[in-house]
Amino acid sequence: MRRVLLVVSSGLMGLLLITLVQSSGLLTLNASTVRPAAVDPVSLHARHARYKTLAKRLTQLMPTQPYILVDTARNHLYIKRQDQVMLEALASTGSGTILDRPGDSKGQWIFDTPRGEFTVQSRLTNPVWVKPDWAFIEEGLAVPKSQTDRLEPGVLGEYALGFGKGYFIHGTLYTRFLGKNVTHGCIRLNDDDLKSVYRLAKVGTPIMIF
Amino acid sequence: MSFLCAMFSIALSLISVSWAAELEVTPPAEFTDSAALQEATRLLEEEIKLATRPQIYALIDLATNVILIKGRGVELHRSSIEKWSASDRSRLATLYRLRERPQIHRRKINPTAGAEQDPISLVDMPATFPLKFSPPLAVLVLANTDGNPWQWTLQRGRVWWHWLMAWGEILRTGDLLPPPSLDLTVSLDDAQSLAWTVTEGMPFLIHRPTP
Repeated sequence: MRRVLLVVSSGLMGLLLITLVQSSGLLTLNASTVRPAAVDPVSLHARHARYKTLAKRLTQLMPTQPYILVDTARNHLYIKRQDQVMLEALASTGSGTILDRPGDSKGQWIFDTPRGEFTVQSRLTNPVWVKPDWAFIEEGLAVPKSQTDRLEPGVLGEYALGFGKGYFIHGTLYTRFLGKNVTHGCIRLNDDDLKSVYRLAKVGTPIMIF
Repeated sequence: MSFLCAMFSIALSLISVSWAAELEVTPPAEFTDSAALQEATRLLEEEIKLATRPQIYALIDLATNVILIKGRGVELHRSSIEKWSASDRSRLATLYRLRERPQIHRRKINPTAGAEQDPISLVDMPATFPLKFSPPLAVLVLANTDGNPWQWTLQRGRVWWHWLMAWGEILRTGDLLPPPSLDLTVSLDDAQSLAWTVTEGMPFLIHRPTP
């Protein structure tokens, strides 16, 4: 019994000792929690000045004009100017699905919306969809030889904004899918939101997609 | 014998205090503290390099417990970190690039199927997944499983699996200094959206808390 009491009391004493030493700052157990040595006020002032300069430089890199922001996980598109949200819209983005290329055992299309920073490269009215190969293969159809057989007007809405490599922000006939990942990489909006985006975005407007 | 028992008790206390120190989450940094200012300055220097280029990057802020998705210095999205622990914070002061995005289950389109196929959604994304970086850093993202014992059990299984794999790697390479590791617990929605958002090569910065 005495031995048990001795062990328990020793443990408690040890814990108390460590807590006291820790709180006094004499010993730290984690390499990253080492307290800094005293810094003279001049050096601290210089560091403050350096920090402020860098913070200002970062602010200068932020877009001052409106930019388009696309959240592919939540299927939302925003137009923002600094902290102000000018437009919030439900969108459809890339489905993330895979389609095998026929006759190519290793080739496949992955239908992701690209992530990163882009810019509006073109602004189109009444765009006509030039159906790529995958659109035919996906439907189990033969890929046409004639370019005219690829043209499909009226499916992209009244406007389209191109942001490179064949990707567009455009309208849709399938508004019931807005808010879902269903596209082949393009960003779909309903007619009203598309009109607003077309009106607010110019060629060169940044598009940030994550 | 009693002396040995006492020493064992002290050692146990030391371990538990060390664990507590590792798991503690510090409040936001105050810039009256020189170390916090130094860390914030280091981070700004790194971020400016990233923000000058057209790219999306992530900032894991352990001082304010948030994960920020950013571009050009602008905060694009913010997720809260509910809990975190790091094995070696002193080695987290560099720019990391994601080696590969988490494995997600991608459906294959069957052109002959005819019927409309279900779209992918956040629910299809993993809720517990490792992120491996270059230079070496192992991040384990865990969804909060409070109130869901089944998810908790599954998650524990995955955590143990990652732990075993990490030890297997140490034994295989003979490198006794494992890479720093960081475990992040976030909400289920944030874990799944992070799995969808991150891309191969994406830069990550870590803001370390100061005492």
